Amino acid sequence: MSRKLGALALALGILVGAMGLKTLVTAHGKTAVIMANGVSPVPKYPLPPAN
Amino acid sequence: MGAGVCFVAFSVIRASFLKYFFLNLYVVLSLFADLLRQSILRFYGVESPQYSYAYYYTDCLLTIALFVAVISLASRVFAELRLAKYVRFVAVLLLLGTAGFSYAVVAQSSERLGTTFAVELSQNLYFVGLVLTYLLWGAVLKLQETRTRLVQMILSLGLYFSAYAGSYALLNLAPKYEVVQYLAPILGCFLPVSWALTIMRHTEDSRLTPARLVAVPR
Repeated sequence: MSRKLGALALALGILVGAMGLKTLVTAHGKTAVIMANGVSPVPKYPLPPAN
Repeated sequence: MGAGVCFVAFSVIRASFLKYFFLNLYVVLSLFADLLRQSILRFYGVESPQYSYAYYYTDCLLTIALFVAVISLASRVFAELRLAKYVRFVAVLLLLGTAGFSYAVVAQSSERLGTTFAVELSQNLYFVGLVLTYLLWGAVLKLQETRTRLVQMILSLGLYFSAYAGSYALLNLAPKYEVVQYLAPILGCFLPVSWALTIMRHTEDSRLTPARLVAVPR
């Protein structure tokens, strides 16, 4: 039981830490997104309207 | 792309495909995503909505696959402590928590909810993966993990995430320099290259020799 509570606390801690870090990094950013996958060029964000 | 093919091919040849299944799955998905993006890019162009939607949806899928790959490495690190079950529990909680948080952020958005959610989830999972990888680094140091492949794969993940965060910072600091724009696509090659080198150079039995402590008389 205590291990499960520990896992829950760890998950919450990671989530809070990650979201805090994201806020810290992206708060003053001019570009809205950070993309980490693949070698293709990153398109503009916000998205253009769909046809 | 060549490095990705190399990684999967050597995993199969060295009978490590199933041992590192989720890493291979990420690399295979990344190859398919790149093929799809390139074909749409050639057909419609980089400014087109088609390319943007294809890019962001495949990115969300790849970030989830990368998250699962990080969790699979964490399971292997904590397997000897019989904590693999709890690692999976934490992973599910994190995935659900991140999805819930992302939905809460974009729920007010009236248009293109699906795509905005995909972008937000991808962003948030990226940062969760970053924090997880650093925690995994700490665990590897604390547990004095000696399996070379495992250590090198975790180290390359940490470098990859850190390099992306750095390139993002550079993009904001110096957006006028064109070279900065190309950093992210160049970094995209890093993970398959480093994993391919690891799987080619080391066997599953390879171990790192921990630094010997020398007792110095005082």
